[in-house]
Amino acid sequence: MYSFLRIIRFALQDIVRNIGLSFMTIFVLVLMLLSINTLLFLRLVTNEATTSIRDQIDVSFYLSPEATASEIDEVYTYIASLPEVTQATFLSQEEVLANFRILYHDNENILASLEELTENPLGATIVVKTKDPADYVTVINDLNVPEYETIVESKTFTDTQGAIQKIDIITTNVEHFSFALTVFFAIISFLIIFNTIRVAIYTQRIEISIKKLVGATNWFVRGPYVVESVVFSVISVGIAMSLAYTSTGFLDQYLGVVLGDPQFLTNYYVSHILSLAGIQFGIVFFLTLISSMLAMRRYLRT
Amino acid sequence: MIHLTSVSKQYTADSVGLADVDLSIEAGEFVSIVGQSGTGKTTLIKLLIAEEKPTSGQIEIGGWDISRIRQSDVPLLRRQIGVIFQDFKLLPKKTVRENVAFALQVAGEPHKRIKDIVPRVLEIVGLGPKMERYPHQLSGGEQQRVVIARSLVHRPKIIVADEPTGNLDSINTQEIMEILKKINEFGTTIVLVTHNRDIVNQLRKRVVVLQDGKIISDEQHGKYHLSATAV
Repeated sequence: MYSFLRIIRFALQDIVRNIGLSFMTIFVLVLMLLSINTLLFLRLVTNEATTSIRDQIDVSFYLSPEATASEIDEVYTYIASLPEVTQATFLSQEEVLANFRILYHDNENILASLEELTENPLGATIVVKTKDPADYVTVINDLNVPEYETIVESKTFTDTQGAIQKIDIITTNVEHFSFALTVFFAIISFLIIFNTIRVAIYTQRIEISIKKLVGATNWFVRGPYVVESVVFSVISVGIAMSLAYTSTGFLDQYLGVVLGDPQFLTNYYVSHILSLAGIQFGIVFFLTLISSMLAMRRYLRT
Repeated sequence: MIHLTSVSKQYTADSVGLADVDLSIEAGEFVSIVGQSGTGKTTLIKLLIAEEKPTSGQIEIGGWDISRIRQSDVPLLRRQIGVIFQDFKLLPKKTVRENVAFALQVAGEPHKRIKDIVPRVLEIVGLGPKMERYPHQLSGGEQQRVVIARSLVHRPKIIVADEPTGNLDSINTQEIMEILKKINEFGTTIVLVTHNRDIVNQLRKRVVVLQDGKIISDEQHGKYHLSATAV
């Protein structure tokens, strides 16, 4: 118990008495954490943006105006039962006509033509959304059967196919790039932290050997560095998360317009604050601890 | 107290630290180890504090065979031997009081005992009023007295001093030697490694001369000379 309390006291003394070194270590850790937070923001925004674009894509099946209610019902039930389909919205002839009028409200010629007609020329429509943009092809193929040929008049798929493929390529590339960036940052972070800690330990190598010479055990020498790792991790995570949280408010002003949620990043940060703090603390503590243990090993041999 | 039996230390094929050394030092003795540079004096010190292990032979300290000491037992050995170095080896970011207290803290001594004993030991070496200073605020002689206080504080049976006056002027050298003689009078065994002819001659205590890793002279009331007169 005495030893444990002494180790904590020695660690706090070391932090204060080596204030320059402590400041430099915390500064590097904060920079690394800000890089991680930037990467996190980037992933969040790209994920949200691609999800948002994917959500806006759907395939509409325009049914023949002559189709009977039972035929329409059969097609709708069939589409809704497909495993790839997440949402199938049925629009009746009247709803389609109303939407059409809204769409062309400023085109007098079209509206006048409609007035001339005694019957609704537009058929009902089924708007389909799938789990993945690639699933649209499957759904279209499933409906390309002779029984439905006369019922399903047209599909909008051909119009959106190119867009879907492009989005698929973009999102896949973004994911690959994001993963590569994460690996790159992880390696760089480890090297920076390892070297920072190694320099810190190197400057204290004589002290370490003196401690050993007067009879300190390896644990008694290492202990303060473990406590210092905890303190540095807590302080750096606190500073980095405060800065990151402040920047979410600033970034949300611009991202809100694109993503449709004026507090997208802030909400995410607040709702995940504990897990984010825990993960970041874990990463920093693990890296500083491993680095200090590796760097110190050679000086403990005396 | 200290027994070396056929101890050799070979660093490389053509670098010999000690060669087949037999040496016995009894409790309460004051032994000066002299010899030219590179004759094995520092190797001997390193072997006594288990900083090095002998290539062959046996080293016994207080009945404890430390020839093949386990790494985990080294701290226990060092807490029983006070060590004084030429370059002081003080912790620069700790005050005089903290440096001396550290030797007790590593041994897990209670706070109250440390608080009682450290100021007393510092008074003995004449550093009571300077106990809150840092090493860089002290003179060389004062720093060496801090080291002596640190080596004394856990009441070791043996003190090993490797050129303790090597960085000091003659006045400080005399002071340090007086302190070491006093410590020896209280029954502590002292092993002194030195180049200083005057202090060895003034001591008129046992002198062991090393040459090429071997003992070439061992006199009970010897003087400083680097040629073999008695073995």
